[in-house]
Amino acid sequence: MKTKPVVIVTAVIATLIVIVAALLQSFPGERQRHADEKWRIVNYWSEWCAPCRREIPMLNQLSRELQATNVAIVGVNFDEDPREKSLVIASGMGIEFPTLTIENVLAMQLALPDVLPTTYILSPENHVLAKLIGEQTKESLLAKLTSLGLPGNENYEQE
Amino acid sequence: MNISAKPRLLQSLALILLATSANLMAVNSELQTSGARLELLSSPASSDSSLSRIVTDAKGQVWLSWVTQKDQMSTLKYSKLKSGGWSVPKTISQGDDWFNNWADFPSLVVNESSMAAHWLRMSADGAYDYDIQAAFFDTDQDTWTEGVTIHKDGISAEHGFVSMQPMSNSLTFISWLDGRETRADESHESASVPEHHSMGAMTLRAGVFGQTGEAVTEWELDNRVCDCCQTSAAMSSDGPIVVYRDRSNDEVRDIYITRYVDSIWTQPKAVYNDGWKIAGCPVNGPDVAATGNKVAVSWFTAKDDQPEVKLVLSGDGGKTFSPPVVVADGNTNGRVGTVILDSGNIAVSWMDKDGSDAKIMLSLYSGDGTLLETIQVAKSKASRRSGFPVIDSFGNTVYVTWTNIDDKPQVMVARVTYFQ
Repeated sequence: MKTKPVVIVTAVIATLIVIVAALLQSFPGERQRHADEKWRIVNYWSEWCAPCRREIPMLNQLSRELQATNVAIVGVNFDEDPREKSLVIASGMGIEFPTLTIENVLAMQLALPDVLPTTYILSPENHVLAKLIGEQTKESLLAKLTSLGLPGNENYEQE
Repeated sequence: MNISAKPRLLQSLALILLATSANLMAVNSELQTSGARLELLSSPASSDSSLSRIVTDAKGQVWLSWVTQKDQMSTLKYSKLKSGGWSVPKTISQGDDWFNNWADFPSLVVNESSMAAHWLRMSADGAYDYDIQAAFFDTDQDTWTEGVTIHKDGISAEHGFVSMQPMSNSLTFISWLDGRETRADESHESASVPEHHSMGAMTLRAGVFGQTGEAVTEWELDNRVCDCCQTSAAMSSDGPIVVYRDRSNDEVRDIYITRYVDSIWTQPKAVYNDGWKIAGCPVNGPDVAATGNKVAVSWFTAKDDQPEVKLVLSGDGGKTFSPPVVVADGNTNGRVGTVILDSGNIAVSWMDKDGSDAKIMLSLYSGDGTLLETIQVAKSKASRRSGFPVIDSFGNTVYVTWTNIDDKPQVMVARVTYFQ
């Protein structure tokens, strides 16, 4: 018996969907990128770094203010502790923005910074637009974003 | 001399890999070159061990310390390398309120008749404040004293990055980074000041301590230093010397030295003016070694984003230094160690990284800074969880310890015996 062309096409499409789904599962960073399409402020923190801790309240506030824009703030544990421990530390430090997994960081192909604190600004395609070393202020970050033409819409709401 | 000379030297190595499990010294494997023998020793530390240091005493005995962590409990242990292998590990102290940090971790020093150890303990007053605890081995009681806080400021702040050196008469020299000035208007009664009220800079302090932790004397050596780089201390014929990463008012963070000469600490000065201006902390301190008036300092720098490990030598107790030798560049992430061998040669350890992988390297230099040999001690990971390799020496043998994080953290030990 001959297989109908429509059945073959359906099977091929189904197979492709499965493959794409598997690929997205393998690369959570990519999945996030396509879902969000956001520029990101990536802040490397450590619990024993006093300047890092001083940045957190400012980053929390800025994260809320940027919520409706095309820029998001995410954090990375500089010390590369296991995921559970990192989340406990982040909670203890009062961090309200997302803490990336090691897999997220690997997917971004971001070089491990050698210095604390370090903050990157990344495009949705994970291109490094800025590498900011040292303690940042809200003013310094907003100035950098502005110089990069960000945020790109009118939804920024200062608290 | 540049590291690029390495491949030629490495090509001349005769590689012999031997299984020697029955060896009395518990040697797991051996790699012999024309100038050195590298042996991977068994480790007395269990799995889930990390934060190790290795130290040799005046008799040539080798001591290893490490930390195990289970749930919230941290335990500082140690063992001695004997002819039949490692001694049964003993516990120095343990606690559920320790501050464990891959870059700032416990140490052990051994004197002729005494030992001292340190670890970091969270202070009660501040979530991220911690104190330096030290314990001393009581030879009469054959036991360790309870830990005592060595700094007497009573201020809830960061205290750490300790270096210890044994002295005569069972005294111990200790240098550390002290955050007491980073807190505004603090007193014993109002120690918990919000961090945004911080003022002042991280300071470098040092003291001499007796067997019960009492301070015989204490000094502030520098009132503004890099916040989170290791300090390093050594004993020259003049007295103790301390090297550290300075922090100028305009954020130049080069390596400085201060020396205790004729009962006075010298004005801190750069061992070399790299001019590395950087607003953050590289978490990458220097390491100093001294024998008599010979002093060697190695360190990491990355001016203009060009990472380098450098070495300078002194023949006058650290008063002046030779121009720096570039030990490594390109892919190095520092984490250096320095020792001076009986031959007068100097060994420098550092790490090279390749993506998430890394290598622990060891280079041998003559007394005038000529590169003699470079070997790869072990594979490692660039991850910070692999910690800082630590080296010490006796005679012409270098001992190396590090943490393998391929699976559960496991403290490792190697021995490199130089023939020249």
